[in-house]
Amino acid sequence: MKTQAQKRVLSQKASMNLQCYLMISLQLIGFLVITVYPILWAARLAWFSYDGVASNTRFVGWDNFVKIFTQDTTYWKTWLTTLKFAVFKLPIELPLAMFLAVILNKKLKGRGFFRAMFYLPNVIAVAIIGLIFSSMFDYFGIINAWLVKLGIVNESVDWFANTGTAMFVLVAGAVWNTFGLNILYFISAMQNIPEEMYESARLDGASRTVTFFKITLPLMGPVLQTILLLSLVGTLHTNDYVLVMTNGAPRGETFTVMSYIVSKFVPGFADSTANIGYGCALSLVTTAIMASIAIFYNKFSAKLSDMY
Amino acid sequence: MKRNNIITSIFSYAILILVLIVCIFPVVYTVLASFKTNAEILAQPDKLFPTVWSLENYKMAFDSSDFNVGRMLFNSSYYTVLCVCFSIFASTMCAYVFERGEFTGKKVIFTMFSSLMFISLGSITVYPLFDILNIIHLNKSLWGLIVVKMLGIPIVNIYLVKSYIKTLPKELDEAAMMDGCSFIGIFFKVIAPLLKPIVATVALLSFQSSWNEYLMPTIFTMSNPSQRTLMVGVVALKNSGDSAASWNLMLAGATIALVPVLAAYVFFNRYFVSGLTAGAVKG
Repeated sequence: MKTQAQKRVLSQKASMNLQCYLMISLQLIGFLVITVYPILWAARLAWFSYDGVASNTRFVGWDNFVKIFTQDTTYWKTWLTTLKFAVFKLPIELPLAMFLAVILNKKLKGRGFFRAMFYLPNVIAVAIIGLIFSSMFDYFGIINAWLVKLGIVNESVDWFANTGTAMFVLVAGAVWNTFGLNILYFISAMQNIPEEMYESARLDGASRTVTFFKITLPLMGPVLQTILLLSLVGTLHTNDYVLVMTNGAPRGETFTVMSYIVSKFVPGFADSTANIGYGCALSLVTTAIMASIAIFYNKFSAKLSDMY
Repeated sequence: MKRNNIITSIFSYAILILVLIVCIFPVVYTVLASFKTNAEILAQPDKLFPTVWSLENYKMAFDSSDFNVGRMLFNSSYYTVLCVCFSIFASTMCAYVFERGEFTGKKVIFTMFSSLMFISLGSITVYPLFDILNIIHLNKSLWGLIVVKMLGIPIVNIYLVKSYIKTLPKELDEAAMMDGCSFIGIFFKVIAPLLKPIVATVALLSFQSSWNEYLMPTIFTMSNPSQRTLMVGVVALKNSGDSAASWNLMLAGATIALVPVLAAYVFFNRYFVSGLTAGAVKG
């Protein structure tokens, strides 16, 4: 026999459960319908050949995956482009952001203003950034005009006709877009370092450079790893930025892997005859590789911090 | 020693100002060029300032039938407003439930929601979304995307609000509960009014991201040009083939698209920054 009080506790618990589920009901439905179902759909279709017409659907077994790993060199080239993009962008952006963060962490007049202005490009849409940079780096654009005027180049450069120069514009725009965000991250990581550390270093006569490498960097350690991971993942996922800026020009050579998949398999960008089944297989493989890179990075950086 | 300090200061400011110029140049260039005629953009590319300031581009942008800025501005506005509202409701309610609620399956559901940050198959999943939206006859329209957003899980914002609710004293809930307030009632009467600062941050961040969104609105409006948002329309004009003939229109469109976000940033910059650093580094 349950007592009256026990019953009340039970009904209270039931009512609590009900109220909680009621409040998150939209998101629960959303999770099932717009997240889980599409993933299962894509995971199933990866074993089919499917071009959007239901009657053309055909089970192909491992064929899609075999094709990805044995024949599809275009796809792997876009991975190479993605890595190139990261290798050019991160070593410019992160040291630059770190350098500026060190300056802005000092008690300078107007540092709030500079910090705010440096972050400003980050609030601008990638679509607009693509447009602005295409306009500035247009063959008849302002950059070419100034370069010729200053005598740096003899004749205008066709920036988007050449893989190297197109990549240069992509990296320039990307660095411009996100360096301010990294400055903010670095500054907030530096502000967690106690001021006394710097004072005692100064008393010991340590130079600025020594202080930076012996105190600032090591003490930022764990946060630094997070910032690096965020930048790396963000850069590898670069997608609509490339679509807007170069759309692969020249000849699809500046497509990063995500933008390549969109341009080949997603409605609004791709041909209507695209083999969606194959696109699903590519998406699965891409997601798996992205996840492994993140996991590998985490393991690797944990090992590194063990060593030092 | 003192002289040394002055030299470092000058050096620091020199670098900061140099970076500042590079940093704002593209924006300044765009705004200034939007007041030039197309002939001037093409004929005198080396000039930053327009020789004659003309509002012609803006007039043209609002009058043009195939690049209808007024219509796109309207689409962008209602899309953004709805997205911001959904994001606020979803993030505050979910955060409250996961922070203060006790219910079966709480841990499992929260872990599943959080895993969304890492698992994503990318845009290929719009095909099944289209199938689902087809059932309610919203296939391939901006409203279809709005339904998707309504059901979406703004997980980063949930984390932001959750850590904010954590700082509110639990005695508040308990006192209200003693007075006979239900769990949902406590949210609306006690907690929600206290969330204003963090709601401001969430609102600004989702305003920025939905106003700026390009990929999903493009996919959902591809067969429905009258529903294009500003971002979609501006890029469509660029890809339309004779882009050289319409740099002026595009730059005017870009400026119009830039102004709301820049204005929000200038006035509420504090909220942007606090949201970012709280979410990424400390949280």
